[in-house]
Parts: sequence; C-alpha cells; structure tokens
Amino acid sequence: MDIIMPQLGETVAEGTLTVWHKSEGDDVVTNELLFEIGTDKVEMEVPAPVSGKLEKIFVKAGETVEVGAVLGRINSGDASNDDQSSEESEKSPSSSPNNLAEKQYKSNLSLSDHLSPAVRRLIAEHKLDSSKINGTGRDGRIKKSDVLEYMNANKNSLHELSSGSQNADEPKFIDGKSIIPFSRIRQVTAEHMVRSKTISPHVNQGIEVDFSKVDSARKSISSDWKEREGFSLTYLPFIIKALCGALADFPNLNSHIEENNLIVFKDVQLAVAVDLGLEGLVTPVIRDISSLSVTEIARSVSSIARLARKGSLKPEDFKGGTYTVTNNGALGTLYTTPIINQPQVGVLSVDGVAKRPIVVDRDGEDNIVVRPIGVITQAFDHRAIDGAYSAAFLKRLKDIIENHDWTSLLS
Amino acid sequence: MAELTYREAVADGIAQEMERDPNVVFLGEDIGKAGGVFKATVGLYDQFGPDRVRDTPISEQAILGAAMGAAMTGLKPIAEIMFSDFLAVCWDIVANQIAKSRYMTDGQVNVPLVIRTANGGGARFGAQHSQSVENWSMMIPGLKVVAPSTPRDVKGLLAAAVRDPDPVMFFEQKSLYPVKGEIPDGECIEELGKAKVVREGSDVTIVALAAMVPRAVEAADRLKTEANISVGVIDLRSLVPLDTQTIFKEVEKTSRLITVEENPRLCGWGAEVSSIVSEELFWNLDMPIVRVTTPHIPLPSADELEDIAIPSVEKIFQTVLRSVD
Repeated sequence: MDIIMPQLGETVAEGTLTVWHKSEGDDVVTNELLFEIGTDKVEMEVPAPVSGKLEKIFVKAGETVEVGAVLGRINSGDASNDDQSSEESEKSPSSSPNNLAEKQYKSNLSLSDHLSPAVRRLIAEHKLDSSKINGTGRDGRIKKSDVLEYMNANKNSLHELSSGSQNADEPKFIDGKSIIPFSRIRQVTAEHMVRSKTISPHVNQGIEVDFSKVDSARKSISSDWKEREGFSLTYLPFIIKALCGALADFPNLNSHIEENNLIVFKDVQLAVAVDLGLEGLVTPVIRDISSLSVTEIARSVSSIARLARKGSLKPEDFKGGTYTVTNNGALGTLYTTPIINQPQVGVLSVDGVAKRPIVVDRDGEDNIVVRPIGVITQAFDHRAIDGAYSAAFLKRLKDIIENHDWTSLLS
Repeated sequence: MAELTYREAVADGIAQEMERDPNVVFLGEDIGKAGGVFKATVGLYDQFGPDRVRDTPISEQAILGAAMGAAMTGLKPIAEIMFSDFLAVCWDIVANQIAKSRYMTDGQVNVPLVIRTANGGGARFGAQHSQSVENWSMMIPGLKVVAPSTPRDVKGLLAAAVRDPDPVMFFEQKSLYPVKGEIPDGECIEELGKAKVVREGSDVTIVALAAMVPRAVEAADRLKTEANISVGVIDLRSLVPLDTQTIFKEVEKTSRLITVEENPRLCGWGAEVSSIVSEELFWNLDMPIVRVTTPHIPLPSADELEDIAIPSVEKIFQTVLRSVD
C-alpha cells in the first residue's frame, strides 16, 4: 500500500515530512506511529494505515513534497494492495459504503421449514398439506405465492376454495382422507362412552312389545295435533309413561351406584338422549316425570330436544338423571344395545315399531294376526341387579304398554 | 397547470390562504423582508404588508407564544420555526400548551394554528440543523402532523392545515426545496390524513414519507427493471391522522411491508407503522416488517458520511432485494 502525503487543510498544497519513526525494512502495525509532517499551519503525527513491512521509503525526512505524493510503501502481504480501495467499492453491495453505518440484517437461520403467518393461515383455512407444497422462497421456504399457486393447480381436488370451516355434509378428501376434528361435545361424549363401558358390566335384554293399543290412541288424536303442538305424537311418550309405572314397581333400576352402595331414588328424573347430529349425544333431564301426562311428556321431550339442539340448555339441565331412555326407532332398527349413563344402572332403547305377523291364541287356537311390534332393549349394570330382576321389569313394562287404556289417557 | 418548486409552493400556499381569509397571519425569523432563509416565503411581505407578515426576534418561544395567543383569540397564524431542530427550544409551548388547550378547556380555548418548519438533512448543516423530528410531534396527543413530498402536496396540505381547526405541525423537507412539480391552477386543497399510493405493486409495499418518497419510487422503478420485483409505494403525507386503511389495503395485497424514514432508528414513525401492521395484519404477513432508517446517531456534517447515514436509493434497493424472496 502506498503511503501518501495527506491533505492537511483546504488551502494547503504541500507538506514537509519532518520525521520517520520507522526505517525501511521495519515491521509496522496498523495505527502505529509511522511519520510526522509539518506545513506552515500545522504539524501532525501520521499512523500506519495497515500492518506489514515498510518496504520502501521514497521521501526522506526534511523533504517537502506535494499533497498526494507517494512517501513510501508498506507491503501487507496481500496481492494488489494498491487497488484495495477501488476494489472494495466494486465488491458486492454488502460491503459498500452505504451499509457501513448500520449493522446489517444477517440471518443465520435457514428459512426452509419456516411458515410465515400468511402461509400458515392459508394452509389452515384450506386444510392443505404443507408437505405437498413446493417452496420457492429463500432457503426453499414456502411463500404465500407458492401456496396460492398450489391451490390454483389443485383446484379440482380441493373442491371449492372456501374459507369457512369444513361442512360435515361435504367432506373434502385429500389423498382419499377427510379429517374431521372432534367437536367439544363429541369429545365429551366419546370420553363418557369409554368410561361407562369400563365401569359397568353391561348386560342387554330385549323384549318384543305389541303397540296396538298405543296405535289406537295415536290414531284417536285430532288431526291438528301436529299443527297445534309443533311435533308429531310418537310412541316414545307412551313408552316413557309406561316406564314410570314399571320403575315404580322395580325401583332398584331407578338408582345410582356409589362405591359399593346402590342409591335408590324415590322419584324418576328421566334423562332423554338427544342426538346433535354429528356433534355428539347429550342427555338432558326431564324432572319429576311421573307426575306428567302423556301429552305433557310429549311436550317436554319435544321442547328439551329443541333446546338441546339450539344449545340453550345449562349444565344443571343435564344433572341428576336417575334413568335414561334413548329413542333409536325412527329409522326402523330392530334393537340397540345402549351404553349406560353413569352413574345410573339402566338405560332403555326404543327401536322401530313395524307391522309383523304374530301368533295369538283365540279360543285355544293359534291364529296369525298382524300387529305393530317393536323391540325394547334394556342395558343394565350387572353390579346392581341381575337378569331376573331386569326381565321382570321388562315384562311389567310390556304389560303396561300392551294393556293400558291409552286412548282415555290422552283425552 | 404551473410548474413550481417545492419552496415556491410554500409561498404560494401561504398566499392562497392569506388571500382567502384575512385572519391568517404569518410570523417567523427572516420570513418577511428576506423571504425566508430557504427562500420559501418570497413575496409575502410585499403582498400582505408588515401587519400580517411579521419578522420576529430570534426566539422560538416568543414566536410560538405569540402565535398561540393569536390563535386563541381569533386569528389563524402560521408560525415558522426555521429549523425543525429548534422545536426543542419551544417544545413546552407545543406539547403542553398548544396540543392540550382544546382538551383541557373542553373546547372553550382552541388553537387553530400551523407551525411550519424546515426538517431533515442532506444539506450538510450538521447534527443540530439536520434532524427529522416529525416523530417527536407524532408522539404528542393533540397535534396533527403533515410532511408533504411534492410541490402540489405542499400547497394543498398547507391550505388544509390552515383551515384545520386544530394545531398542525407542517414539516417541509429541506432537501426537497429545489424539487419541481406541477400544481393545478386555481384553488389547491388536499386532505389531511390521507396517504397516496404513488406506485402500484404486487410483491412488496414500501411506506415512505417526505424526502424518502422520491427515493423509494426510484428504487421501485429500478427493482422492476433490474430484479423483476413489483414494488408498491405509499406516500404517507400525514402521520397524524395516520391513513392506516390505505396501508392495510396495500399490505393485504402484497403481504410484505418495508418502511423508509429519515428518523433515527429508535422510535421513528416507521416503528409505529410497523407495530400497527404487525398487530392488525399479522396473519397476512409473508415476511417480517423491515424498517429502513437513519442509524441512531447525530447526523454527520461531512458530505460522504451524511450520504451514508440518510437512507439512499441504493440502500432501499438493497434492502428490498435482501428481504423479498
């Protein structure tokens, strides 16, 4: 590197090198005092600009030269030292003067796996699989435009690019799979079902019931019942009414198990299973159901189901049930083996009622007649009661349903 | 249409308002007979006379105290603080009196004045005469803050500022004084608190103010031709009220934001904009928000050093290249 006579003032054109502090051949270190100069205005000490060997001295002490004249040379060992300043300005912009004053933004981390908020959001909204998206950003990261391109290219398999949550009626399949996360209620239902099955030894018992008398009662109601009440009169309210009578005779089924005790309840607080579509199952309680008439029972069931589906019920509406009934019959199933609603000991499933040929005894002779027949199944906790008790209960239930004067009860 | 320089637009704007409303008066150091040290107020003294155009002693507190009193008692003063750095001398009057009077008197005492001042660096005036301090004003509740980048905006926003019933801090960037631009004939009035999209872009949005706007635009044009990056540029024009809607609209399109300001690194207006956008548009961002600012130093006097410090076209260009993938 050339050592030159510095500019010591705007109007100064030359300077005198007064003293060398290093000799030719000496090693010098950056900022070490190298020489002194004087002008008519000022004297100054000049440090070595680089480290190296003071290879040559051209201007001796006491000589006066022009500003800019070469005084000596330091060999730093780098090739092309002389071009150092011009080379720097031609180098890549990261070392250009414009960036000297501010510390540079330098990222040491690789962005390849990083998903920016914009990208995350798009992936979540459209339920995409990020491993399928080609990233063309820095370090190969997926940038927003990559996601948009992917969505565009896969328009058909992703169905419509809606931003809403997945519609249960229209599953979007990606790679043959549609992932539907459990709703909170579904999760709670699932957890309860597993727990119940691990706690109670379930035994299922079914009995066939002839609904002729119930049917007569149903036919006897006025034609504007549905319009008036807002719902149809099904078999369920009758069965529930009969259930109350049967439980009165077999109270051990209207109970809870707590540790090794059977807590038998005086009154029936009936939990009714309400299906919330794919969201799950809830069992709100109709209080003191034994005091209600069939019509009142019908109204209670309808209203509680409606409120449950609307989400208007409160936590206390689900507490205190002593027995549960679940109505699965609407679609004509034969029987169902329900899961006990802890800590109760029994649950009744009402299934489809359909016309079937049965044998009845007429004056000692067997005759085939057509009757509306449905199977009612009870699942009971075998810790609390045994098969004989349950069977006797079901027989009582059947008797009430088959023999009660339902028509007069409705009027 | 006429072509005026930024400095001519100042005088033009003041004249327009003083002609329109006899209550508008103008005071400051050397603004009258000398036409202003930056020659931004030439001709006003001749046109309106010594009653309405007053040369003051060298006392910023006197200038603003008088302007405040005049504003409180029915006039519409425009007061000049020669260098925006000097606002520090009279800051108590700005921050504690002017900014708060309407609020503290429940509207009984209003201060409808405009404080215009020469802001920013690039003129080799050194650390105490080159600061960009519009961010000081942004931080004080009760002040409106304006910083135009073109002659047309100077005239139009100055008119809007004079007509505004509240105190307005009007920052003219010194380095822009010689810039020419077209101004429509007739009355020129713009809207405070409205930003302008001066370049449409789809890859990244740059938000800039005052002298940084033309630099951002130049960088944007270069980025298009040299790197095929489509850069949108927003000229904020006002800091208070801040046109967040325009910023959001553009950033929602591009998902990338870079701010360019002449303020020093800490607590410049870019920090506020960055913070607002991070909070409101977090889920839209495809890269961290980057601020291009002057480093946190007193500005150097030396030519080369000042040019390095204040964000240049090259610096903006490189920042975009580095940040946008």
